[in-house]
Amino acid sequence: MIVSDEMLMAYLDGELDGENRAAVERAMAADTEVAARIARHRALREKLRAAYGPILEEPVPEQLIDAVRTSNVDPARAKVIPLRAFRAPAVPRWSAREWSALAASLIVGALVSALALRSLNGTPVESMDGRLIARGTLARALTNELASRPKAGAPVAIGITFLSKSGDYCRTFTLAGREAIAGLACRDHDAWQIETLTRSEAAAASGGAYRLAASPIPRPILDAVSAAMAGEPLDASAEAAARTRTWTRP
Amino acid sequence: MVAGIVIPSRRSMGTRIDALREEIVDLLPRLRRFARTLARNPQDADDLVQTAVERALARADQLRAGAAPAAWLFGIVRHAWIDEVRARRRRERVLAPQELAESVADRTSGTEADFLAVEDAMARLPEEQRTAVALVLIEGLSYKEAAEAMNVPIGTLTSRLARGREALQSFLAEPIGAPR
Repeated sequence: MIVSDEMLMAYLDGELDGENRAAVERAMAADTEVAARIARHRALREKLRAAYGPILEEPVPEQLIDAVRTSNVDPARAKVIPLRAFRAPAVPRWSAREWSALAASLIVGALVSALALRSLNGTPVESMDGRLIARGTLARALTNELASRPKAGAPVAIGITFLSKSGDYCRTFTLAGREAIAGLACRDHDAWQIETLTRSEAAAASGGAYRLAASPIPRPILDAVSAAMAGEPLDASAEAAARTRTWTRP
Repeated sequence: MVAGIVIPSRRSMGTRIDALREEIVDLLPRLRRFARTLARNPQDADDLVQTAVERALARADQLRAGAAPAAWLFGIVRHAWIDEVRARRRRERVLAPQELAESVADRTSGTEADFLAVEDAMARLPEEQRTAVALVLIEGLSYKEAAEAMNVPIGTLTSRLARGREALQSFLAEPIGAPR
């Protein structure tokens, strides 16, 4: 019997059923060449296991164990609202797109209500001509705060600032609270238009502890950033310069 | 009131996450070892594992209920590595060949020579072959599990495995110090 190399490897890897395994074993007993090939492959596996085996005996760094025990699970449960759907132009008939726009605006409505509940000196976002515009505390923070100089205990934390592909300044933000709400806002004339909002259940907020405003930016927001960003995020001095220009296009 | 709109907290999900956390802790030694076949520098390998476990927990809902997390986690480590390599290329901070040579030369001592020869041979494999070899020959995953971790059909996995094995045999047969 001719034993293909593939079959021989599958034999060694424990992937053959009883009949094929027996066939390889018969071939091995009858043919020294087959036996030699198996021995060669087996030796390779032993070499690999001997080389990498000791890594299993190393103590696992505490930092890794801590990361597993405490890492947030919320990005997976984040509710992402792509506001493109929300802004979809009206069409004469009810299309799937319109239905999804309706659904999106309902979710946005729920998020906006949840935001309003925070009573951050008024509603932080407002719907205007089918767009969401930052208001109150949020708008002030987007205009005035610098990520390079974060303020402890501030209700809004600014994350990344960058120039969008259309040449406008955009900034990510996080609103403090038991349920962190994060978003991306881009400058549109004199206002900050909200491009994406996401809410994540604060699984890490055990015991009702409030999350810090400076919690990491959820992945959905990061995805929106990488889709919108032209070039690299602004560094501290470029961020300050943009603020001085009151966020007008460079 | 808004209370009806707020997403209810899912206690059952929380319990499942806690169970998953402990399973991941148990798998950490193997995840570290697998990461070492990708990033040779031990610190880089541990950073890679940390990135991967954070990602895994963030996407815990992608793990099918009742599925064993090992193959899924190995797959996430591999993805995190691919992302890392891409990011390094973007930053153009890939180790220059001489730096790599130095970091290897740093720790050449008696008993480590065998490990270095094997590690060296592994590093010369294309990533896809190296991952197949690491998952099946070192980690002992079944073909099905390894194919799942690499997100390829079993036939693709076995051919990568076969090519990886052949290449390793020939690299390891070379006399030490042979030109490449």
